[in-house]
Amino acid sequence: MGKSRKTVQIVILAAVLIIGGYAIGSTLFASDSGGALKAGSEPPPFTLADLNGGTKALSDYQGKAVVVNFWGTFCPPCVKEMPEFERQYAKWKDQGLVILAINLSEDTLTVNNFVRQFDLNYPILRDVNRKTERSYGLRSYPTTFFIGPDGKIMEITVGGMTEQEIDDRIERLLQL
Amino acid sequence: MLVVENTKCECGHQNSVGTVLCESCGKPLLPSEAEGADTPLEMRYDGVARRSQKSNPNVIDRVWNFFSSVKIAIYLIVITFLTSMLGTIYPQENTFVNNFEPAVYYEETYGLPGKIYYMLGLSHTYESWWFIGLLVMIGTSLVICSLDRVLPLYRALSKQQIRKHPQFIHRQKTVYKQTVEGDPEQWAEQFGAQLKRKGYRIHRDGSSLLAEKNRFSRWGPYINHIGLILFLLAILARSLPGFQMDSYITIPDGDTVQISGTNYYVKNEKFIVEFYKDDELPETLKGTARAKLFKTQAVLYECTSNCNDPLKQPELTEVKQHDIIVNDPLKYKGLKLYQFDFDMTPRLNAVHPMLIDKQTGKSYGPFDLPMKDSAPKHELGPFTLELYANFMEFALDSNGKPTTLSRDPVAPAFIFTVKGPGLAAEGEPYMYFPMQKDKVKFAQDVINGALAEKIEIKVEGMENVEFSEASTYLNVRMDRALPYVWIGAVFSMVGLLMGSYWQHRRIWLRIDDGDLSLGAHTNKNWYGMRSDVAGALKKIGITVDPKALDNGGNNA
Repeated sequence: MGKSRKTVQIVILAAVLIIGGYAIGSTLFASDSGGALKAGSEPPPFTLADLNGGTKALSDYQGKAVVVNFWGTFCPPCVKEMPEFERQYAKWKDQGLVILAINLSEDTLTVNNFVRQFDLNYPILRDVNRKTERSYGLRSYPTTFFIGPDGKIMEITVGGMTEQEIDDRIERLLQL
Repeated sequence: MLVVENTKCECGHQNSVGTVLCESCGKPLLPSEAEGADTPLEMRYDGVARRSQKSNPNVIDRVWNFFSSVKIAIYLIVITFLTSMLGTIYPQENTFVNNFEPAVYYEETYGLPGKIYYMLGLSHTYESWWFIGLLVMIGTSLVICSLDRVLPLYRALSKQQIRKHPQFIHRQKTVYKQTVEGDPEQWAEQFGAQLKRKGYRIHRDGSSLLAEKNRFSRWGPYINHIGLILFLLAILARSLPGFQMDSYITIPDGDTVQISGTNYYVKNEKFIVEFYKDDELPETLKGTARAKLFKTQAVLYECTSNCNDPLKQPELTEVKQHDIIVNDPLKYKGLKLYQFDFDMTPRLNAVHPMLIDKQTGKSYGPFDLPMKDSAPKHELGPFTLELYANFMEFALDSNGKPTTLSRDPVAPAFIFTVKGPGLAAEGEPYMYFPMQKDKVKFAQDVINGALAEKIEIKVEGMENVEFSEASTYLNVRMDRALPYVWIGAVFSMVGLLMGSYWQHRRIWLRIDDGDLSLGAHTNKNWYGMRSDVAGALKKIGITVDPKALDNGGNNA
């Protein structure tokens, strides 16, 4: 009886450790992943159509510095940034920079007409029904996520940037 | 230091450390109890040792003993109560629905106290690690306290000695002493027969007797504890992925929206709101808009293929159709959609205009022109309309170029390249505003110039206009833990009832040389206990006032 009591004690305390540890652990973990994204968070994954009939996923660019920019034709600062991103892309792409410009769920003609005005070499992705935008918790446009090669968000910039500001951030991103 | 305590009773039974009353004959063993002359005995757990009471505890024993203490359990419960109160000072984070920035909200709304409240993490008290930690500790304490007491109690009650030590009998709270004439065994049998009629189970050993009733009520608290443990586990299980969901979706009339994080899509066929008419309202409320009905005609779909392929339309299969009204959600496999709010802003979805050839007076169409993702080309009799550009909220930018101010069809505009008889071979641009107000505001006919004299695109009648009158806001909930919470609650209730409405009553008696010693014990309702004894005595010809059986002590 002494032996079995010991076993019961160990089994119960182990169960408490596992269940309790999981419960407490998940509350600590939840405060990281839940709520709004911030510097240091992991960006939500996405797989979206590009303009060439293919798809691009964030996971395709693991280990690379990625700039994810949400833009719409209805947002003048976004429009202003598009050619600036193109120049930055030309400047840094040899060092492995990836720029993904996600359109804010506009229709095909609108996106095509817009893109035709510029000569953009980075992928333009198409969000549908605001799904990706929601998972990134967007509140205003443009919003740009600078994601480091470690897969963590280095910085989130809400609102338009000057080309110099974009340049500085990309430089820091590539040094990570 | 090793002290071997002598725990052997004079009846020869070897008791374990911490035993208060001999497990066999019931003689008080602790010096403190033995000295107390004839005050009523401490009968808790029948005087057996708690499982955890051990002479030389190791680490595991110490942890075990900590949780085995009822005092600790009470402290834990009180601390939990007090800290729960902290969570009620300001609204919790999870009570806010849309785009909510807690870091800003608390400070802005409540000033410095709000900021401190947020910084201390009290804005999510019930999800904090220390609160969950307290619940885990209470759960542990429940399991260990119960186990440490119920097993020894079960053993003690299932191997009870019938013949108890005279000290044990005389020191019960209900005692009767008397000299009896005649054969003691016969007396005991007669008395036993009377008790049996009152529902007691009788065990006899010569002239000794043990009568017992409703022992099961002793298990009530432990069944209650099992219920509470189930309850706690169910609450903790909510943090498992897929166990709980509480989110909100907005669906304009006619739209189908995915419930994020699931494979389900919901279509709002139509949202209906009805208000009371003035003659249905009491005098004081006349003239106010009082809602009579909010109803969403909803259809739930499950995606069966192409669910995560951005290049293809997902294939949806209808799984449930339901008219959602307040308190009557759409339910499907644990998923519940509740009516939450609505928005009566209309939204233009599509028009079906005609193309009129002003030169011949003939009209062609109607053709289908949705505000979003329209077909690029429309063939209408001898004419072709190629969609060149479209704008959701038309405006001119600072350079005078057409642009859109938003992505919602607030002031939609289309630019077509029109080809056909009497028009330039490469086509002529035609600007079309479906809404009359925009047509006037942006002077459609002026923009189109000469072409406006030749053709016109025009919607005839409201039946050719499709729009969403309203948007419904639904609350999506899923709580897979709820059935377990209910099971826990049922166990808990059954245990409470068992322990509250029945009492475990026992009567011991022995006759030594014609001296009758009778002691009785119950865990509550001593009044009933005494009247059972007095009633049975009366049936065999001994009249005694029930109050006279009281041997003092509390809870009389």
